[in-house]
Amino acid sequence: MVENFPPPGYIAVASAVEGIEVFMPAPAKPNLQTDLFEFKCPQCGATTAFSAEEGSLTCPNCGYQEQLNPSRSGKQAQEFEFTPVTLERSALSQVEGRQDLACQACGALTSVPATQISHSCPFCGSNKVFQKESPQDNLRPKYLIPFSVTQKTCADISRPWLGSSWMTPGALKGKSLLTNFTGIYLPFWTFDSVTNAAWKAEVGHDRTERYYQDGEWRTRTVTDWRWESGSVRLNIDDLIVAGTGKLSSRLVSQISEFDLKDLVDFEAKYLAGLQAHMYDIPLEMAWENGRQKMREKTKSACLEQTSTSKVRNFSMDLDFSAESWKYILLPIYLHTYRHAERSYTLLINGQSGAIAGQRPVDWNKIWLVTAALLAPGVTLGMLGIITLALAGIGVAIGGIGFVLFIIGLAVSLVILVQANKLDDI
Amino acid sequence: MDTKAESWLFNLQVGICENCDWGFLVPEGKIPGKCPHCFRQPLSTIGENIAGLPNLRPAELYLPFELADSKLSQVVKAFVDGIPFSPQDLSARNLLKRLERLYLPVWLVDCRTRATWQAEVGFDYEVVSHQDHFMGGKWISKQVNEVRIRWESRLGRLDRQNNNIQAAALEEHHSIIKALGQFAWQNVQSYKPEIINIENIRLPNRSPEDAWSDVEAAIQTRSAEECCKAASAGHIRGFTWQPEFLEPNWTLLLFPVLSSYYIDDTGSEIPVILHGQTGRIAGTRRASMKRAKSAALTFLLGSAGIFILSLLVTVLSATLPVLLALAVIGIAMALLLGLGSIIPVAAVWWFNRSQQPVRV
Repeated sequence: MVENFPPPGYIAVASAVEGIEVFMPAPAKPNLQTDLFEFKCPQCGATTAFSAEEGSLTCPNCGYQEQLNPSRSGKQAQEFEFTPVTLERSALSQVEGRQDLACQACGALTSVPATQISHSCPFCGSNKVFQKESPQDNLRPKYLIPFSVTQKTCADISRPWLGSSWMTPGALKGKSLLTNFTGIYLPFWTFDSVTNAAWKAEVGHDRTERYYQDGEWRTRTVTDWRWESGSVRLNIDDLIVAGTGKLSSRLVSQISEFDLKDLVDFEAKYLAGLQAHMYDIPLEMAWENGRQKMREKTKSACLEQTSTSKVRNFSMDLDFSAESWKYILLPIYLHTYRHAERSYTLLINGQSGAIAGQRPVDWNKIWLVTAALLAPGVTLGMLGIITLALAGIGVAIGGIGFVLFIIGLAVSLVILVQANKLDDI
Repeated sequence: MDTKAESWLFNLQVGICENCDWGFLVPEGKIPGKCPHCFRQPLSTIGENIAGLPNLRPAELYLPFELADSKLSQVVKAFVDGIPFSPQDLSARNLLKRLERLYLPVWLVDCRTRATWQAEVGFDYEVVSHQDHFMGGKWISKQVNEVRIRWESRLGRLDRQNNNIQAAALEEHHSIIKALGQFAWQNVQSYKPEIINIENIRLPNRSPEDAWSDVEAAIQTRSAEECCKAASAGHIRGFTWQPEFLEPNWTLLLFPVLSSYYIDDTGSEIPVILHGQTGRIAGTRRASMKRAKSAALTFLLGSAGIFILSLLVTVLSATLPVLLALAVIGIAMALLLGLGSIIPVAAVWWFNRSQQPVRV
């Protein structure tokens, strides 16, 4: 018999059979309660914050730096299965409304959105990170990608981007307000799955045939439809889906290319002085969005297998397997600027520096350009009509005018569509 | 063996068959005329000190005979039927007449077990998956719940009393079970000398020392199941333990069989054994080549007679030509009958070849 029993690290569990003792490895204590972290400089007592430039916790007052030793999980970050319990709990922990937060440094009471998990006190400037109460440990963020793009770099990226389009107002190029970018850790879900699809469709094969009509031989194109079938197996790894609906999904999707090799274990220090939010789109809803993307990817892969691009009566059976998910925080800079009484949002990927955002459109400029494009055609057309009486010269001038008008119209339409798109985000 | 243990041997004596080497406890004064196993020789009785036999332990439990006479007749009849040219002696009446009731032993071990154990136990849990179908421009999604097993490490200690662990007490145990099938233990009863000691009881030929490995394996399997239950798990794998077995107590469980025999062509007794509960029968079924050859010879003689007769008719046809047709028919019949004479021998050869010899 073993003398020291149970071995260290084991705890007793209830046994359902008399005469048998059962021990299990002591589980890592899931921290489901609210934790509050405050960040003070050990040298001067001032508030410290995470510096993307240094990659450390830095005191802006005395220059003290606390190096962070990131536990880099990267692609090995733990993933979880879709259990009915998790899906239910994820929906339960969806948070609405606001919460009151009492600053432990100065006692001031501030109200913050309930999804917010970090905060800087507007009265004393102290930085706080609070891990919310969660019904399940894996529904708290366990991994994040730290900011590596600095605020200064954001200004450098955004200024030329704002002036890069001739459709934006000229005054925008000189905007000197683009300095105050807010670093936010936004919640994202990542999904893995293997999709196994079996498809069938009628595929059209064109052929040319000759036929005799009205006393002459002619040719025509005939399509022969043949049934084809096939199967596709896709291994979809780390599909990123936004966990918040508070920002334009179109803008977020434009900067959602993150390299998940840089994922590190969650540590409150990375959030010091920055904003962070927990998810407001629950797992089940996000997974529905993710599955929609996976369906379309798999469908495209199926359609690539058809022998021609002419397809009809397409159907497929799709089986998802080995599905898993993880909940992560990703770094994004947010900036809102005003122009002509309207607010515009700019987002910058805090890892890669990719930029997306709204830019005002100078519609006066657009209409002027449109008028300029149409003017030659209209003018020559008019001239043609007037000179039509002069020995037929008007026909040639009118013809040129018509061609120029059509070209101007086409280019104008393209410009209008682009301008509308720019203005629509 | 103490006095209490000896009391179970009341009214029994030991008989050994020198031909098949099977030993029996037989009712005193009722020694069977032939060995109840091989039926070749009478049993030789040995000295009075039965309790001193090395592999003998008291019987604790027994399974009663549960076979109705009608069922028995039906089973024996089915055994006899369908044998081409069966031996003269192989009849349902003979088999039933020669039936001997017999109890075969199994070791029963009671043992206290103390151990430390370690294993991976599995808990069932559900995961949500999806199966989608795309047709007519629309996706139809179906949620599917799959059951998976989550394996977790567990260890512990156990201190359990294991009663009535069974182990083979006969070298032939597994071949007997293979031939007759398992016995239903739910009707097990406490041993009563007044009921059992009027039958023949087979002596164990496998010592407790030899059977211990079976017992240990059975206790390990049972302990693994109990540890799984103790951990409130649904599955267990990789069970390892360091056991200590205390106070093992060996007794016997007796299970019922019936034996009989028939005599084949060569005059040998072919034993037949029956399950005492279900009536399943096991024994080598042999057809009689002697009878087949007799039948073949009869056919051949008949064929020769017809042939000679046909030859005479052929001679007569010289004066009466119409007889020639009769002669041709006669010769053809003789040839056919001659060829057919091979059928009985071939059928018996084929049947005996297709029968697996059953040894118990």
